[in-house]
Amino acid sequence: MSASAIMNADMGVMGHAMALPVVLPLLAAFLLPTLNRIFRPMARIAGPAVLAGCLVVLLHIGSHWDGQPFSVALGGFAPPLGINFYVDGMSLLFATLVVIMGLLLWPSIHTGDDSDGIREHALTLLLIGASVGLALSGDLFNMYVFYELVSVASFGLVAVRGTGAGYVAGFRYLMISGLGSVLALTGVALIYTHTGTLNIAHLGLLTGKLDSAIGLTAFALIALGLGVKAELFPVNTWVPEVYSTAPRRITALLAGVISKVAVLAIIRVLILAFPGEEARQLLLALGVLGIIFGELAAYRARDMARMLAWSSIGQLGLVFVAFSLPGDVGVFAGIAIALHHLVIKPGLFLLAEHWGGALTALEGEARQGAGSLWAGLVFVLFALSLVGVPPLPGFWAKLSLAQGLVAQESAWHLFALLVFLGATVVEANYLFTVAVRMFKPASKPRPPRHGVLNLATSSALAGVLVVGTLAIAPLGDYIQTLAGQSADAAGYVTTVASDAVEERAR
Amino acid sequence: MELAFSLPDAQTLMVGPDPAMVLYFGAIGLLVIGIAGLLLSRHLFRMVIALAIAEAGANLLLVIAGFRWDAVAPIVTGGVPNVPMVDPVPQAMVLTAIVIGVGVQALALAFVIRIRETYGSLDMTVLKGHMDRDVDLAAGLDVLDQEGPAGERPLPAAGDPAGTGPEQIGLSGGRS
Repeated sequence: MSASAIMNADMGVMGHAMALPVVLPLLAAFLLPTLNRIFRPMARIAGPAVLAGCLVVLLHIGSHWDGQPFSVALGGFAPPLGINFYVDGMSLLFATLVVIMGLLLWPSIHTGDDSDGIREHALTLLLIGASVGLALSGDLFNMYVFYELVSVASFGLVAVRGTGAGYVAGFRYLMISGLGSVLALTGVALIYTHTGTLNIAHLGLLTGKLDSAIGLTAFALIALGLGVKAELFPVNTWVPEVYSTAPRRITALLAGVISKVAVLAIIRVLILAFPGEEARQLLLALGVLGIIFGELAAYRARDMARMLAWSSIGQLGLVFVAFSLPGDVGVFAGIAIALHHLVIKPGLFLLAEHWGGALTALEGEARQGAGSLWAGLVFVLFALSLVGVPPLPGFWAKLSLAQGLVAQESAWHLFALLVFLGATVVEANYLFTVAVRMFKPASKPRPPRHGVLNLATSSALAGVLVVGTLAIAPLGDYIQTLAGQSADAAGYVTTVASDAVEERAR
Repeated sequence: MELAFSLPDAQTLMVGPDPAMVLYFGAIGLLVIGIAGLLLSRHLFRMVIALAIAEAGANLLLVIAGFRWDAVAPIVTGGVPNVPMVDPVPQAMVLTAIVIGVGVQALALAFVIRIRETYGSLDMTVLKGHMDRDVDLAAGLDVLDQEGPAGERPLPAAGDPAGTGPEQIGLSGGRS
């Protein structure tokens, strides 16, 4: 589709353009190996070009969007029978972020066997297309399908290096993920048995039918199933293995972006279909356990990659605790922490590409010339924000969560607050230990180890963080709008229903 | 004609224990067997099979969600109008789920082959030891400490400092 065709489009066509960021990467991923045989130079740039095109489409929709959520009935079949994409501020934001981060973290082609590089490109495109679909989908089964696509693409990417450890980590990841899919599918079956629908907006109307032990079981199964990607507590044992064996750029993409999209999917289901107290408490408990295990394991970790992996589990635990708070407050804190982590974690993993080794070997790492000093400073900035030192954005994100927890005034929430504050202390301890060690005088000089591309990407993310610090007030207002929209279950149902009526009339 | 076949069939089935219940218990049983197998087995191939069994359970659960004993297959009404039909939506979904499941299992088997080629074993305990040690080695950590799964891993032979020669560890995988 040419750009001018989108330019002149009305709202309906614009809605259908919403499918492009899903369809184009999937199609390109399919065609890429063939293209590589016919004309190799073009295959190399095709992936980034397609993503850039998707970004243009998304930015165009974002800039022409009137701020009202809308629903797109795919193929003209109105929901609840047809499948719809639900577009509000949050899904549009996450879809755009997935594409941007995909471009930023695009795998660089290795020298040597080119077909391997192209395979990596194709899998990354698959991962990104499916993630955008997962963020937009308004149908439970459609979510399951996109989720499986994300999974399969990530299995391939994890093992792309072809090392034995990578294969074992990939296999274990596949098994946990497969277990998750079975659980999620069982949850979907339970919901379908009890309500006869899988459209999330339709489920929003039928919440009474799910307000039972079976409904809660279904939610638990779906949360655990989708939670594999979101690093939810009991199903996250793959995280340190995969993050320490996969290529760092892939790790950055999985930890930073894909996990957040899975969180978004769980939160959609929670807000729309399970407004009851028990589902929130379940998420709170799993989140708290995730924080405890993640941060303690990170404290004990002896190498950078696994330390960051465990800390990522702790951060995702925080996100789940935040989303378990009822109303706008929880969604606000959840989005804030998730966005903050989305910027920081990829940056840290990219820095770790060359520091991935033992923590004890990092002594004097930042004193090896200008490049490594810069890398050390970027690391300190990220660490400060991750711990939550004012005025960095991490402080405001954590403050909003603390305020939300205090306002709940229940024993559970106070316990969660205690764990959260304790985890922050632990986090500060292990991150600053590394930072201090890096700035110590080196025992023996080493050649600088940072690749230009990784350092530039990290610096760009650090730049985003600094801009976020300066523009914290408008950023807060923006997230407040997103939170208001996402927490509005009735608005979601009305939007999908009225758009479905329009679609039928067409 | 289709109708004439299906109705008495359903009625004779109704005589014994409630067939829907049998199917429900069957589906849940498959799920439990599969998940238990996945969590308890150490052999990679058994894990793949366990996953397949669990998936079959979930698929069966989804199919019977939309099944009605007094109804015919969707669209095929044998020319009779207004006949109750089985809900086609879960069937379409299960088809999708089966296809996804087959793809994932094939990928899992590809992993199994590659793992056997690299480490010469299919025992998860052994493999996890190898993986942890390889990750530690890649990270430059001291792997000679006492934290590793000592006793479950064959000691490296003199000529093979990495200890990953397939001939040493092949025993555990080849047997089972």
